[in-house]
Amino acid sequence: MTRQPDFRTAPRAASGTGWASALVAAGVLAAGVASYQALVAREQARAAGARLAEVTREVAALKTRHAALEARAAAGGQALLAVDAPPSRIVADVATLLPPDVRLERLAIDYQRGGTLEMLVVARDAAAWDLLLERLERAPRIRDVEPGPEARAAEVRSVVRARWSAAP
Amino acid sequence: MGNVTLPGTRTYLALDASCVTAAEVSHGVKTARLRTLAREPLAPGALMPGPAGANLADEATVHAALGRVLERVARERVTLVLPDGLARLALLETPAGVDAREYVRFRLSSGLPWPAADASVDTLAAGGSRVVGAAIGRASVAEYEQAAIAAGARVEQVFLAPLVALAGLLRAGAGEAVHAVLGDVALCLAFVRDGALVGLRSRRRDRSSGEASRLAEEMRRLQAASGNGHAGVTLAMSGSDAPRLRADLGAAVPSLTTSTLPDGDEAGWLGGLLQ
Repeated sequence: MTRQPDFRTAPRAASGTGWASALVAAGVLAAGVASYQALVAREQARAAGARLAEVTREVAALKTRHAALEARAAAGGQALLAVDAPPSRIVADVATLLPPDVRLERLAIDYQRGGTLEMLVVARDAAAWDLLLERLERAPRIRDVEPGPEARAAEVRSVVRARWSAAP
Repeated sequence: MGNVTLPGTRTYLALDASCVTAAEVSHGVKTARLRTLAREPLAPGALMPGPAGANLADEATVHAALGRVLERVARERVTLVLPDGLARLALLETPAGVDAREYVRFRLSSGLPWPAADASVDTLAAGGSRVVGAAIGRASVAEYEQAAIAAGARVEQVFLAPLVALAGLLRAGAGEAVHAVLGDVALCLAFVRDGALVGLRSRRRDRSSGEASRLAEEMRRLQAASGNGHAGVTLAMSGSDAPRLRADLGAAVPSLTTSTLPDGDEAGWLGGLLQ
């Protein structure tokens, strides 16, 4: 339809028809809804980004811990912690196992290898030596007892290897 | 119908020297239907349409007439229709790439009875690159607007009666015809061919004796100047006094037709709306 010239002097605020006004209102409403949805989506994206950063940090921390554990396992897998088995306690336990005719000259504790003990012992005779081995093997915290080569002259001198366990 | 505005319905409030008319028209997609028509005569001299100076010589009378017609129609969506005689009209060929409204302002500004800056200028597409340019003084428009608003109308648009009539003629897309669109104080002669305006004249009316024959001669001259000159072109009249002028011409112009609108609504602008 041909546009009819309009000579109105007042501001043209209400020139639309009812349908046009309804369409404009619907357009404005749709734009408002779209803006709100865009705002919500942007907020959700921001929250998801923050959560992703948090998870990424957790993954990095877990990777570090995993790497440490793997290194620990590669180093022996059975490492004994000094806090679980302090040297004074191991020495005290070993001392209670020594028969009267046996003396402990040296004790080495290797925590990296699962609490391996290396004991240089001197027994006055073979009976005392045998009694020492028997007590070691029966001791609840001493495992894998391996007597070393014996030097027998007037006395028995040897190195005994064993592993001390924190759990009886 | 009272004062309730139905969807798609608009009230057209027209003023001319002889009367105030209000028409409720319901607009469809391609159709328009007259729902209500109210008319109040004006005392001679109460309203004198002119391009400059005050038009409402008797404001109280015009206001009372406006109030009475508005009581019978909806007042919410009102288009004010200004009478012929206020504006300068011209059919112009606009150059390519030029804003039509600015071109019309440039072409009409030298002949306006008021400063060009005080003119409200607009255009009606007339087919091809042609436009009907119209320039009205803002003060005149404001005078009519204020009268209508004071009477309770909510004015949303301000149209010019001859342009409404011309738009209807162009929309109808009739073949070849010369139309005389008559206002109370001015008239437009329009030569329409194949839905395009090929000739236009606008002047104030001379109601002295012999107006009908002078008008018929002028219509023929427009046809000769703008058309191909062959005979048999339809002559048509609409608007104020059209039935009387046709009666005056009688058998002298057998091809002359007049508006076939219902009784009392022979105004050219209303015919244009309902085309």
